[in-house]
Amino acid sequence: MTSNLEGTEPPVIAEVRDLRVHFGSKRGRVHAVDGVGFQIRDGEMLGLVGETGCGKSVTGRAFLNLIPQPPAIIAGGEVLFRPRGGAACPACAGSGCHACGQTGGETLDLLKLPQDRMRQIRGARIAMIFQDPGKALNPTLTIGVQMAEVFLQHKSDELLQDAGISADDRNLAANALRRIAHQEDRWLDRRLKRFPPLRQAAGRIQQALDARVAAALAETQIANPLRVMRAYPHELSGGMRQRVMIAQALACDPDLIIADEPTTALDVTIQARILELIKTLQERHRTAVLYISHDLSLVRKVCDRVAVMYAGRVAEVGTVSDVFSNPRHPYTQGLLAAVPRAGARRGHLASIPGSVPELVNPTPGCRFADRCSQVMPACTQLDPVLGSVGEGHSVACFLEHPPHAGAAKIEKALTE
Amino acid sequence: MMQPPKTDSTVAMKAGDTLLSVRNLNKHFPIKDGILQKVVGQVRAVDGVSFDIRRGETVGLVGESGCGKTTLSQCVAGLTDPTSGEILFNTGQGSQLGDGDRIDKLPKDRYRTFRRNVQMVFQDNFASLNPRQLVVDIIGRPLKVYREASGSDLTERVVALLEQVGLGRQHLYRYPHQFSGGQRQRISIARALALDPELIILDEPTSALDVSVQAQILNLLGDLQKERQLAYLFVTHDLGVVRHMADRMITMYLGKVVEQGPTETVFQQPAHPYTEALLAAKPDLADDPDKPFALLEGTIPDPARPPLGCRFHTRCPRVTPSCGWEIDDIVRFLEADESLFQSLQGVERRSARDADLIFKDPASAVALQEAMKSSSVPEAMRAATERLTVEGSRLRATFSEVDEVQLTERGPEHFAACKLDHLSR
Ligand SMILES: Nc1ncnc2c1ncn2[C@@H]1O[C@H](COP(=O)(O)OP(=O)(O)O)[C@@H](O)[C@H]1O
Ligand SMILES: Nc1ncnc2c1ncn2[C@@H]1O[C@H](COP(=O)(O)OP(=O)(O)O)[C@@H](O)[C@H]1O
Ligand code: SF4
Ligand code: SF4
Ligand SMILES: [Mg+2]
Ligand SMILES: [Mg+2]
Ligand SMILES: [Zn+2]
Repeated sequence: MTSNLEGTEPPVIAEVRDLRVHFGSKRGRVHAVDGVGFQIRDGEMLGLVGETGCGKSVTGRAFLNLIPQPPAIIAGGEVLFRPRGGAACPACAGSGCHACGQTGGETLDLLKLPQDRMRQIRGARIAMIFQDPGKALNPTLTIGVQMAEVFLQHKSDELLQDAGISADDRNLAANALRRIAHQEDRWLDRRLKRFPPLRQAAGRIQQALDARVAAALAETQIANPLRVMRAYPHELSGGMRQRVMIAQALACDPDLIIADEPTTALDVTIQARILELIKTLQERHRTAVLYISHDLSLVRKVCDRVAVMYAGRVAEVGTVSDVFSNPRHPYTQGLLAAVPRAGARRGHLASIPGSVPELVNPTPGCRFADRCSQVMPACTQLDPVLGSVGEGHSVACFLEHPPHAGAAKIEKALTE
Repeated sequence: MMQPPKTDSTVAMKAGDTLLSVRNLNKHFPIKDGILQKVVGQVRAVDGVSFDIRRGETVGLVGESGCGKTTLSQCVAGLTDPTSGEILFNTGQGSQLGDGDRIDKLPKDRYRTFRRNVQMVFQDNFASLNPRQLVVDIIGRPLKVYREASGSDLTERVVALLEQVGLGRQHLYRYPHQFSGGQRQRISIARALALDPELIILDEPTSALDVSVQAQILNLLGDLQKERQLAYLFVTHDLGVVRHMADRMITMYLGKVVEQGPTETVFQQPAHPYTEALLAAKPDLADDPDKPFALLEGTIPDPARPPLGCRFHTRCPRVTPSCGWEIDDIVRFLEADESLFQSLQGVERRSARDADLIFKDPASAVALQEAMKSSSVPEAMRAATERLTVEGSRLRATFSEVDEVQLTERGPEHFAACKLDHLSR
């Protein structure tokens, strides 16, 4: 990747390369994600936009190994991630090289990570915020208990430290408390807790835990954290539940947050506040965010860069100001023109004709070809690939990068 | 394109005539509690709403979820009986609407005219289209019920309707689930068009659709309106869509109309702080991207206990001392303070504006008294406090009486319910 060489930009902490996720169906193989690639830089907010079904959520879930297989088939590609403060890059032993994007840190392929490593990463280094916090929160546990689990799972050493507990007590106390938090404490744990030394220890851990949970909630501007901790999810409003999700996602200070339509279910007034909150916290913690949305105006407002997806591929990627003020892909142009705006005469919005193609056993060619007003013969024969049209601005369209016979042959050879 | 025959009622009417009039409409839902399901309160989902819809125009209805938009539209469509108030419908008896046009008092034949002339399109077309019926039966049903057509004539009428919404004969014998969301919305629109209505009520018709599909549906609705002189009541929470579609718009908050007027006027000079806040919260592609979000604080209060005076006063960034401060505002303030709230033992009310708050200890009463004199409460609230005395562990608070807020005229056809005469910018 050439962009790695630019020393001034923050390092690339995550990269999706040629990701292909297919789904088996009665009618054939659905190429839901079919060669997606983009980079996420440290501390940036990257928007991922596109219409329903274009593969945004599947791409986002790939970061956390949350793609159910079956029905999904990971048909190829890599999802690379470089945790901050991870092990040293084996190629350069930490001095910075091409393989590690000059970070000196190790590069993990999240798709190949064993389950237990993934569990360590999930929540601690990469966290996810979903559209519907009601579904992501456990209805049978109080908010306090659910939040505590995150800390118990990833920060138990620090908790014991906060509570001033010696190394000998560690396992016994921590294990007992973990079971208590999961509401599966055994008869023995309850007996153990009555032993004065352990009772005190457990009490101190609980205090340390409560303090951390309260602080995490307070950071999302929840007015009364202690009351919210005692509440069950159904007792909170949608906006409040989304704040809890954000607090949970930020709890362990992750390097990357995947936010999948985090405000779609909320009213505009609440949406504005949640977005402002995500933006503020993201800047404060310097967390990178992959912000998945179908709302173009929101993405333009909160993101640094944006990748536009169409039918399982990235059509265009660049800074929000480049993509929104100078869209180069016909699909991006059509999408922006379709947004109702002041002055457009009623019944005369520019609309993209037709509908999203079915992705069952697709043939080569631009996925947008049957809706594109500028379609050319080559468009139905060859796959356009992302190519630069300006600094940090790339487009996958033959209007920008005409195919020439040689390239076409090579490409065909490569894909076979 | 084939036009179904005009019904009698449409002959006498001109564009701009009042088609439907809503007068002081109320719809309250009882809140039931306990095993005996005793009624413990009322949700005033629609509370004293009045407006007109004229032939051929689009009226936009906006507001946050729960403000009563759906309930109001269902009353207007005749699908729900209002608790009180009137809906008048012009069935072609003359242009001046009166008591004889109340839909709940219409004789049978004129009531039928009302029902066939007012149709509804819902957001959730999964729920509103019968999954076990074929498209031909879904769209043909109103024609059958009103004995407009049968047999092959019916099928041809359905084909004509499908063509009007951009579908065709090949779609007749399919089930709803075989269509995309946008296509299902086209089917809903075709069904609504079947009886050639005067008014279609659209409840969030494009909220579940992607922007490119939304553009197609909005264009279709615009074209149909022009061809058929349709009136729309267009319910949405998307202000960009309202601006594009509506000639006039209505903003609702907690069951009440807080502003109404010509759309462009309201967008350029909102007269109600709530409309202003809604406009500011919605980012627009034409905005300066660096402009900060204008944030509206707080959540929508419980509709079973709407705030006194102006219902928006708990969140209004421009609130004044005369906006309706009340004891519940102190309770809301206490809810955000864990220790004081824990110490609160009870509230003895003389009225909504005058009460004793009883605490566990005198210190808490004093702490609240201090807080209420400080900048922890809005300045307007402090100014509205007439009495704030502590006696032992009791704090007595009294707020000044104020007049109700009424809709007042702000310009041609422009009304707002706010104590402020104009919003300085
Ligand atoms: N569990 C699943 N089973 C079968 N197909 C799926 C599943 N999840 C996603 N897909 C397919 O993947 C495509 C992309 O889905 P998704 O990533 O959720 O889209 P987006 O988030 O952009 O709306 C869908 O069109 C669908 O065909
Ligand atoms: N059938 C019902 N029974 C009780 N309360 C209802 C019912 N329908 C609506 N409500 C209440 O009335 C208020 C207005 O709801 P609704 O008209 O759906 O608002 P909107 O469409 O603006 O979101 C809400 O507080 C809602 O909870
Ligand atoms: S590659 Fe061809 S079909 Fe695809 S967007 Fe460009 S011009 Fe249109
Ligand atoms: S009357 Fe006007 S100023 Fe007062 S609270 Fe209501 S909207 Fe705000
Ligand atoms: Mg999705
Ligand atoms: Mg509704
Ligand atoms: Zn290296």
